[in-house]
Amino acid sequence: MLRRSHTAVLEKNETYTSNFKTEPYEVGWASEAMWFVRITETSGSNVKLRAYGQISPDGLYWSDKSDRAMEMDDCGQTHLSLRDFGSWLRLRVEIEGDKPSVKLMIVLALKE
Amino acid sequence: MTQAPQIPNASPHADLRLSKYNPLSRILFFDDFDEGINGWCELCGNHDNNLDNIKPRTRDPRPAQLSNCTFFDIGTHGSVDGVYALKLATRPRANHMAQLIKRLTYAKRGLVQLETYFTYKAEAVFDSDIQTPKQWDGNYHPVEAMFGEFTISNDVNDGPDGQRYHCVLRYVNTDRQGNLVHKWMYKTSLQVTTKMQLEGVPTPEDWHTVNPDDWEEIPGGNFALCHNEVPTKVNWHYLRWQFDTQTRRNVELQINDRVMDLRNIPVPVYDHKYYSCDRLLNFIFDVRTYMPVRNFLFLDSVVVSVDW
Repeated sequence: MLRRSHTAVLEKNETYTSNFKTEPYEVGWASEAMWFVRITETSGSNVKLRAYGQISPDGLYWSDKSDRAMEMDDCGQTHLSLRDFGSWLRLRVEIEGDKPSVKLMIVLALKE
Repeated sequence: MTQAPQIPNASPHADLRLSKYNPLSRILFFDDFDEGINGWCELCGNHDNNLDNIKPRTRDPRPAQLSNCTFFDIGTHGSVDGVYALKLATRPRANHMAQLIKRLTYAKRGLVQLETYFTYKAEAVFDSDIQTPKQWDGNYHPVEAMFGEFTISNDVNDGPDGQRYHCVLRYVNTDRQGNLVHKWMYKTSLQVTTKMQLEGVPTPEDWHTVNPDDWEEIPGGNFALCHNEVPTKVNWHYLRWQFDTQTRRNVELQINDRVMDLRNIPVPVYDHKYYSCDRLLNFIFDVRTYMPVRNFLFLDSVVVSVDW
């Protein structure tokens, strides 16, 4: 059988003005994960977004997978590859700036 | 019109995973979620490529998940057969609904039967600000009252010369205050489509109905399910739902040993036509939380069969 794969859209043009975490997503069947963050609009000044991949044993308690982050300061797309995670993934997103507002898509692409 | 030839399937019990089901003569699909998501996807509302134009109630019904049913106290529960179940998960936001759909068209009108083994849970919460009317007593756990409702439905369209309707059945676990209700309900008004909203019908509070109270009790549908005390025990329930695309009616709903006769329950029909939905046959599951607590619906597997 071909390798299973699945793409989940976790944030769909949502607008955030402060730090947030994506909803917990179960990935126990997968061995590869690729996060995509695409900013479609920003407002405010000196806006900066940093997104860290987080792992969890149970969907309740979380830790950063590493100190590597996706960093963005304008519209566009970036990605982060993860391997060797447990059964859950989410992103911890920091938003900085003067009255910052970020509209974004967050997509998680998984492979067996 | 020429009828499609009728060729009976082989015995369903040739696959032992099917022996816990009771399908009609022809199995349309058997989705074992150990094998993948099998076409159950998020029911995102209609749009014109601009995602900002998705109507609010259909904007965020969340992606499907394959869950091994892992919990903080025991680790992995697993599903009935194997490891994985299809999981619907709400956000932790009052009135948020998670919804998945599987889309087919039909080759013939007649009886359609959906069977599944399901379980339902609210997420374990450690926030003492979230209160429900009853306290933990060693048997009853307040998390049971943090699960709102789940719904099973279809979306059928007979084509440009025909009618469109949704058969919709809901298990209401609590009221908005967290008092246990434990009733199966059917809806009495239409689902407000994007087309209807663009024509001026307000965005509803309840995705399935015009008004939130457009629901009636199903005779014989007042009973508790097996929540089993705590948020981390899952007990799988058998569900068998039959509807008839010839009469455009529900037929029966069976939950374990209880069978509810649905033949006399009215099903709202749209008074206008829908373009590009010829022979539409969709199956939908959703779950809604009434509290700022994630609600989950898990499906071990799904079998849909027909009588032709």
